Amino acid sequence: MPQLTYLEAIRQGIWEEMERDPTVFCIGEDIGIYGGAFKVTDGFIDRFGPERVIDTPIAESAIVGAAFGASLTGMRPVAEFQFMDFIGCAFNQIVNMVAKAHYRWGAPAPMVIRGPSGGNVHGGPFHSQNPEMWFVHAPGLKVVCPASAYDAKGLIKSAIRDNNPVLFFEHKYLYRRIKEEVPAEDYVVPLGRARVAREGLDLSIITYAAMVHTALEAAAILAKEGIEIEIIDLRTLSPLDREAIAQTVRKTNKVILLHEDVRTGGIAGELAAIINEEAFDDLDGPIVRITAQDSPVPFSPPQEEYFLPKVSDIVREARRLKAY
Amino acid sequence: MSEKKMKTSTSGSNSNSRSAASSERSYQITDYRLEKPRFELKQVCLDDGVCYQIEGDLDAPVPPIRDSKYLSQQQCIEIYRWMLLNRKMETALENLYKQGKVVGGVYFGLGQEACSCASAYALKPDEWLGPMIRNQGSLLVRGFSARDIMMQYMAKAGSPTKGRDASSHFGDIQQRNVVAPISTLGDLIPVLAGVALGARLQGRNIAVMTYIGDGGQSTGVTYEGINFAAVQDLGLVLFVENNLWGYSTPADMQFRVKDLAERAIAYGIPGVIVDGTDPCQVYDAAHEACERARRGEGPTLIEAKMMRMKGHAIHDAAEYVPKPLSEYWKKRDPMARFEDYLVNTKKWLTREENQKLIADVDRELDADREFAVNSPMPVPESAAGGTYCENGCHEVKAKYQVPIVSTRKSVKLKQGDAAVHLK
Repeated sequence: MPQLTYLEAIRQGIWEEMERDPTVFCIGEDIGIYGGAFKVTDGFIDRFGPERVIDTPIAESAIVGAAFGASLTGMRPVAEFQFMDFIGCAFNQIVNMVAKAHYRWGAPAPMVIRGPSGGNVHGGPFHSQNPEMWFVHAPGLKVVCPASAYDAKGLIKSAIRDNNPVLFFEHKYLYRRIKEEVPAEDYVVPLGRARVAREGLDLSIITYAAMVHTALEAAAILAKEGIEIEIIDLRTLSPLDREAIAQTVRKTNKVILLHEDVRTGGIAGELAAIINEEAFDDLDGPIVRITAQDSPVPFSPPQEEYFLPKVSDIVREARRLKAY
Repeated sequence: MSEKKMKTSTSGSNSNSRSAASSERSYQITDYRLEKPRFELKQVCLDDGVCYQIEGDLDAPVPPIRDSKYLSQQQCIEIYRWMLLNRKMETALENLYKQGKVVGGVYFGLGQEACSCASAYALKPDEWLGPMIRNQGSLLVRGFSARDIMMQYMAKAGSPTKGRDASSHFGDIQQRNVVAPISTLGDLIPVLAGVALGARLQGRNIAVMTYIGDGGQSTGVTYEGINFAAVQDLGLVLFVENNLWGYSTPADMQFRVKDLAERAIAYGIPGVIVDGTDPCQVYDAAHEACERARRGEGPTLIEAKMMRMKGHAIHDAAEYVPKPLSEYWKKRDPMARFEDYLVNTKKWLTREENQKLIADVDRELDADREFAVNSPMPVPESAAGGTYCENGCHEVKAKYQVPIVSTRKSVKLKQGDAAVHLK
C-alpha cells in the first residue's frame, strides 16, 4: 500500500471525486496553473481543464457566493481558501446565505469550503488561526478537521458527496509531516464519527487535528509510568459524535480536553457540557482543559511555542488528573 | 451630458482575446430615457431643524411611454396585468397589516412595479431570478401567487418557507428557479453569478437576473459579485434600482458618480440607463441584456431610475422626503402611465376591457387573501428539523444536463510537494 502525506491524501481524494463525478469542480485563488499555494491542486488543471479548476479574483465573498449559486444548479463545488484565516472575508455569505439555506427555503448546498488552518509554522496572527468554532456555532454547517492522512482522504470524499455545506479544515502543520499507508482505491470515512486513535483505560484525551499527534507523543511518555491514555480523535466538530465522547468517559472516568484553538469558545467548553449531560456520574475527577491562551497567534517561534499546548503540558496534567 | 464610449467585447469572444493594448479609453453609457432630470438634494440646517431640500426642474411634463422594440400588444397587456396584481397585492398587504394580521413589517415596491414585472418578464422559464425585497412583482411573474406572499407575511404554516422566514425571503430551485434573498444587501449578486457558472458547466449560457438598490450597491459583496461575473463572462443581468432612498439616506449620500450606470465602466461591462417607471424601456433593456447573456457575452448593468413612493417599510412615514420630489414622481406613477398608454395612446384596451381586467385581478386577489387569512399558523414543533439535508430529503442532480467533461488521461496524479512559504 502506498505511503502518502496528509497533503497528498487530500489531493488524491479530490482528484478521485473529480474523476468519479462530473459535477465536482474546484474554485479558488491560484489553484489553476499554479496548483494552489500549498500545491493541493497541483496538476488538476492539466487533467481536468480550466473549466473545472477555476482561478478567481481575490474575492472570498464572491467565491463562496458563486460556489453556493453553482450548487443550486446541482454542481458540487470545492472552494479553496488559500488560508482558512481569510474565512472572515466570506463570513456573511457562509453563515447567512449558505448555512441557513436548507432550513429556511429547502435549498441544499452541496459544497465544500476547504483550506489550511492551524499554527506551529511561525505564520503569525493571520496565517495560523483555528477559525472552526465560528462555524461550529452556525447551525446548518458541517465542520471537519482530520488528523491523519487516511482520514483526510476519506473525509474529503465524504464531504464532497455530502449534500450539506462542509467546512474542511486541513491542518497545515500536518500537510507534509505525517505520512501513512493510504489505500489507492475509493473509500470514505463518515462525517460525524470520532475515532479511537489510541486505546487506554486510565484517562481519556479528547482532541482533534495536530493535537492528536501531540497527545500521542505524551501518551508514549506516560505509558512508561504505567498510565495508559485513551485518545479520541473527534475528526468532525459539527455534528459532534456525542456517543463516542460519552463512551470514553464511561470507560476511563477521567478526561482531558485538548485543542490548539484558544481557550474561550473553543470546543472544550462544548465537550465539557456534553460530558456533564451524558456521563456526569461516570466522572471521577474534574474535566481538565488544555488549550492555547486567549490571544492572537504570536509570530516569533519562542512566543508561538509558549502559546501552543505542549507535550509537557499534557504529561503534567495527565499525572495530576490520574492522581486525583 | 458627455457621452463616453466604452470598449466592449461585442463579438462574443472570450476574455483571453480582449486586448489590453489599446491606448484610447472611450466609454459610453446609453441613456434610453425620454427625460433626464438633474436634481440637487441638499441637507439644510434651518431654525427649527435639519431637513432635505430639493432643487431642479420639478415641473417638467411627464414624458410618454417609449414604444417597445420587442413587445407585442398581448405581451404589453400581460405585463400590465402583472403590474396591477403587484400593486393591488401590496395594497391588500397594507390592509392586512392594519387589521393586525401581519407578523412584523411590510415592505412596498410602490412606484417600482414596472421595473419588477417588466424585467422578470424577459427571463425564460429555465433561467433564474434573485429578487430583492421590493421586487415582489417579479416573484408573481415567475409563478408564485399573491397567496404565497401573503402567507409569508402572515407567518402561516403553508407559506413557501413553512413559516420559517418572512416577506420575500423564499425561493424555488426545482420549478420557478428563484433564489431566496437574505437580509444583507448585495449577497445575491455572487450567488446568481454562480448559478450562471453552474449552468455553463452544464453546457448552457443562461441569463440570470437580480437587483440591487442605490443603497445596497454600496456594499463590498456587490463589488465582488459583479466583478466576478464580469471576469468570468457570466450572464448576470443586474438591475440597479435607483429609487433615490436607502431607508432615510438619499442617493446623493451613497455615491459620487452622476449615474450608477457609470459603475459599469469600472467593471468593464456595458451599462445602460432606463426610466424605471416605463415598463417598455425596462423590458427592452432586460431583453437585450438577457440575449447578450445567452450568447455568452457576459453581464450587463441596467440602472432603472424611479422613486420609492412609500417609506422603507410600513412603519416609516418617510417624512424626510421633500414634498416637491414626491409630487414629481407621483405624476410618473407607472400604473397610471401604462394604463393611459394602453387605453388612450395605443388603444390596445378598451375601457371595458380594462375594467374587466382590473375586476379579474381583484377577484384573484380576493380569493388568495381569503385562502391566506384562513390558513393555519404553524404548530410550534414545526420549528424543529431541517437544519441539515439528511436521510434523503433532497436528491441533488444537475439541473440542465450532466456536465460533459474532458479529462486528459495522460496527465497523472502528482506525488510529492513543492516549496511553499510556510513550513
